[in-house]
Amino acid sequence: MLNIEKKKEGSKLELVLAGRLDTTTAPELEKELKASLDGVDELVFDMASLEYISSAGLRVLLSAQKIMNKQGTMKVLHVNETIMEIFEVTGFSDILVIE
Amino acid sequence: MKIIRGIKLGGLQQKIFNLMLVFIVALIGVYAAVSVYQQKNLSAVVEEANYEQQSSITTVSEETMKAVLDTSMSRTTALQAYIANDLFADVQADVLTLQAFAEELFEHSEFFPAHPFFEPDAAKDGIASVQMQHEADVDPERSETLGLVANMSEIMLAMFESSDKLSSCFVATADGCILYVDDRSGSYFTESGEVVSFEVRHRPWFIRAAEEKKLIFTGVELDAFTDIPGVVCAAPVYHEGKLVAVVGADIFLTAISDYVRETASEGGFLCVVNDKGQVLFSPEQDGLFKAEPSGNAPDLRKSDNAELAAFISQALKERTGLKLIEIDGKEYYLIGAPMETLGWTVLTVVEKELTHQPTDTMLARYDEINAVAMANFEEGSRHSVQTVLVLTVIVVVLAIVGALFLAGRVVKPLEHMTKRINSLSGNNQSFEMEDSYRTGDEIEILAESFATLSKRTRNYIAQITQITAEKERIGTELALATRIQADMLPNIFPAFPERPEFDIYATMTPAKEVGGDFYDFFLIDETHLGIVIADVSGKGVPAALFMMISKILVQNSVLTGLSPAEALRTVNNQICSNNREEMFVTVWLGILDTETGKITAANAGHEYPVMLKAGEQFELVKDKHGFVIGGMDGIEYREYELTLTPGSKLFLYTDGVPEAINASNEMFGTERMLTALNSEPSATPETILKNVREAVDRFSMDAEQFDDMTMLCVEYKGAENMCKCSKELVVPAEIEKLPEVLAFIESQLDEMECPVKAQMQISVASEEVFVNIANYAYKPGSGTAAVHVMHTTDPAMAAITFIDSGTPFNPLEKDDPDISLSAEEREIGGLGIYMTKKTMDDVSYEYKDGQNRLTIIKRF
Repeated sequence: MLNIEKKKEGSKLELVLAGRLDTTTAPELEKELKASLDGVDELVFDMASLEYISSAGLRVLLSAQKIMNKQGTMKVLHVNETIMEIFEVTGFSDILVIE
Repeated sequence: MKIIRGIKLGGLQQKIFNLMLVFIVALIGVYAAVSVYQQKNLSAVVEEANYEQQSSITTVSEETMKAVLDTSMSRTTALQAYIANDLFADVQADVLTLQAFAEELFEHSEFFPAHPFFEPDAAKDGIASVQMQHEADVDPERSETLGLVANMSEIMLAMFESSDKLSSCFVATADGCILYVDDRSGSYFTESGEVVSFEVRHRPWFIRAAEEKKLIFTGVELDAFTDIPGVVCAAPVYHEGKLVAVVGADIFLTAISDYVRETASEGGFLCVVNDKGQVLFSPEQDGLFKAEPSGNAPDLRKSDNAELAAFISQALKERTGLKLIEIDGKEYYLIGAPMETLGWTVLTVVEKELTHQPTDTMLARYDEINAVAMANFEEGSRHSVQTVLVLTVIVVVLAIVGALFLAGRVVKPLEHMTKRINSLSGNNQSFEMEDSYRTGDEIEILAESFATLSKRTRNYIAQITQITAEKERIGTELALATRIQADMLPNIFPAFPERPEFDIYATMTPAKEVGGDFYDFFLIDETHLGIVIADVSGKGVPAALFMMISKILVQNSVLTGLSPAEALRTVNNQICSNNREEMFVTVWLGILDTETGKITAANAGHEYPVMLKAGEQFELVKDKHGFVIGGMDGIEYREYELTLTPGSKLFLYTDGVPEAINASNEMFGTERMLTALNSEPSATPETILKNVREAVDRFSMDAEQFDDMTMLCVEYKGAENMCKCSKELVVPAEIEKLPEVLAFIESQLDEMECPVKAQMQISVASEEVFVNIANYAYKPGSGTAAVHVMHTTDPAMAAITFIDSGTPFNPLEKDDPDISLSAEEREIGGLGIYMTKKTMDDVSYEYKDGQNRLTIIKRF
């Protein structure tokens, strides 16, 4: 139920997420990140087509942010209103760079 | 306190020491002041006595001297005058004898042959002899009277030899010859060995005797041959009225001047003043009293010194007293006595200063003695001052040592006691009497008192400890009882979230830790709700126990299917069968039919219920009361019915509400209660109770809550509001089942046209709850989870209850995560439940019948 599209330009990695990031799909993203974050200094999540995120998804985003804090920057793009509210309620809007 | 060399500054020891020191210093001060005063006084007295003594010595000495001088001088002077007078009187007598003898010769010249006479013989110098001389142009051989008067040779010789005062005696004839006796034969020769001539009739004595025709004394004349000053006494001799001869005698003044000179003693002298006021004899070599040859001497009677002039004049006439006269700047004591024979006077002159010599000597001696005495006195004083200083130092040192010792003795037991008392702490509270405190004074009393106090304190502390422990235990037990009591009452609201046809809310605030009020509500079956409110007589633990029994009995009776009246009758009989304490309880019991809104109720002596009919105001329902439960057995209760239309409310309360009092002891009353209820009649039961509670608090202000206060409000919303589409899904509690669960919930929500956003929030919340159950409720793969979805349209809401039979666990008790932390500090745990709480309108947990029941409600 989660579609992850990878775009890699040199050390920049862009992941376009579509569908639901929940307890069942979060491990997929986690696995993907684990595999492809080496040597990345700019990580971008495009959430234009992401409709759902639960705490399991938040957890993956948090660990990605922790990694990127050490090796570069991380941005989150095109967040919809519902997910934005979840980011705000949970304080993630202060942690993530959301554009 | 600061401690220097074992002495506590500011301590008792120092205070005693200070006191003694002050006392000693004061004593020394007084002693020193008295000493100094006495010393000064003594010095003054000595000085004054000295002065007085000196002046007294001076005065007395002066007076004595004067008196002595007066007596001795006047006597001496008189004597001298007398002696001097006598001298001249003797000579006068001799001359008168010669005169008489010569007159006799001339009277009887026929009887006396011419007597031979001789010129001076140089060989006879130094031997008294009769010698003849004559004037240059006179021939002695032709003299008619010389031979006659030569008959006087023997008598004159005899007279000369018998008198030591006469320097010569003579007889001179009127024809220019002289016959005389002396021992100076060698003096009458010229250098050529011839006898010098003697101008007899030109001599002053001859002239004066012839002129005055009586005995005369010449002034001081120089001897014709020897130039020795002398006085001549001469007397004329007449025969038949004719001057025939002059007899006389020479007195060399050497004799008298020697005499006068001899009288000159230290400090005084004699002098003789003649009738012309001239000084004749004086030992003085210069000055006023210097003797001068006749004619040259000044007349003292005419002296410029008037006092002296007067004195001399007086002295020539009579004996004077002692006179003090200043002459040439010096003071003299003078005294005078006249010499009657010659009309002269003898003066005694004493310089005043000299009379003072003994006084001065005495004074000098006295001063000397005095100086020695003073020196001794001062030495003694100094010595005494030194002694005093040394004594003072010794006294001060002794005092300091003594004070320290004494103070130490006094303070030591006190110090020991203080140390002992200071060491009292914790379990070591014992202060015992010790020998060192047995000083026999107040310290011993203090120590004894303290020991007694210590013993009492220990006993008291032991008692207090016991009482406190007891109290603590009771307090703990009461707190526990309060919790048990509170837990006994349904206290989770919303109590029936899955029952939208009614809403119920209740509170109980006991006046003490545990109260006697209680409320209760419970579903009897799917469509009947039992509602109870009750008030036990009395308060505290007994009331609480009684309340427990009542609550259980009432609930049990109702659950067995009895009607309210039957239930109350049964409970009353049960309680009365064993109620020795004679406690009772008022109970209002009602059963709500949730399909019709009809309430069947019975009242066992409880307050009137208050009812709100939809769109109206809260009003008291004056129902018929039965007797209180526990009062008497066999009581029958009457039942009555109330009908709640949708939107109606029933408010139940205990007397703690209307009987709440304020500071002026006014009661809150049912009127105020109704006003509070009607201030917001359409509010939820929870808000209504809050309104009443606030009104009571405003009214009673600081007044202590007197009685338990219990309120209950039920709102009937109507059977139309009941959910007809309640559905349930039961799945194994496994993560893999999450899509199935979410699909089920979403399909239900779709049915009621739930907004997309709410739907997603519900999905997220549901995922979190279900994942929790799947992960933690059971051992993997060993249990199931039921998901019950219910929704209503008025109000528009969805309620989803998750039920599992796993480990009891209330996820709501977990602390919320701190969302202000940075990414590095954030923990991922707890976020799901937190999100659920934040996005849902209500989340409640209940463990009931061995099941964890978590309900989330979302309104939209």
